[in-house]
Amino acid sequence: MYQLSDHQIDLILYDLQQRGIETESLRLNLLDHICILIEENLEEDGDFSQCYAAVIRSFYKQELKELEDEAQLLMALHKGHILLGRNQFFLLLFVLLIGPYIAYDLVWMMNRSPATGWRLPFEIWGSTFIFAIYPLLVLLVLFLTPDRFDPLIPRRSKVLLGFKPFIRILPVNMAQ
Amino acid sequence: MTYSPELLKGTLKTIVLKLLMDHKKMYGYEITQKVKELTQDKIQITEGALYPTLHALEADGLVTTEVEYIGKRVRKYYSLSPAGKATSRERLKELTNFMDTMIALLNIKSKMA
Repeated sequence: MYQLSDHQIDLILYDLQQRGIETESLRLNLLDHICILIEENLEEDGDFSQCYAAVIRSFYKQELKELEDEAQLLMALHKGHILLGRNQFFLLLFVLLIGPYIAYDLVWMMNRSPATGWRLPFEIWGSTFIFAIYPLLVLLVLFLTPDRFDPLIPRRSKVLLGFKPFIRILPVNMAQ
Repeated sequence: MTYSPELLKGTLKTIVLKLLMDHKKMYGYEITQKVKELTQDKIQITEGALYPTLHALEADGLVTTEVEYIGKRVRKYYSLSPAGKATSRERLKELTNFMDTMIALLNIKSKMA
């Protein structure tokens, strides 16, 4: 049976960290699991690097960081975080960013003098338009072009809101 | 035949809790091997599913951990906490009930077809 050296164990630990496994206890769990698999499968005169590459590849679909993200997600969901769909998240942003301007107009209309009627004067809707148009355009671009460049919030992804982390975009493969 | 990950996703916690109920303490690799052995390789728990689940169970206080040092390596053993034992029983009951319902549901469907 192959026996891993301290140097090889350090290499694996370093590689796990480089691949995005930040949680120490998860890293140590993976290290132990990988070491067992290598020691069981590798011959005395076998190639460590080749065996390690094959073992680590069997742990993930796209990248090893998936495990870190999944662990963080599962733990976060039990700490009072909220999981929103993409559309729900954009609706929330719309309400937060555009809502106050619309609310301002509505409040003005409720408090208008009877002589003014229902017509909104330019100084009211004009300022709403000027202040709300930029966040509205940003939201529309983000919402309607999810595949453009490096998408901030890809289609079918989900958004985790809470405290530590405040916001986290979950990629499609985790969100499903 | 191995089962699809989607089918196993909702039952992984129950499987882990039940194994920990039957065995005093287990570590990650041991859990994967035990599942393979008990199911004749039909269920293979992936590392990508197992470790995040174990961490979530730990964060929930359902399992307690102790570590053993093997040279430069650390082996983390998991065992059920008192809350974990209660949850394990509840989960088993729920899963049994669910399976009964599924059997009944599928029987109805096959009769209709």
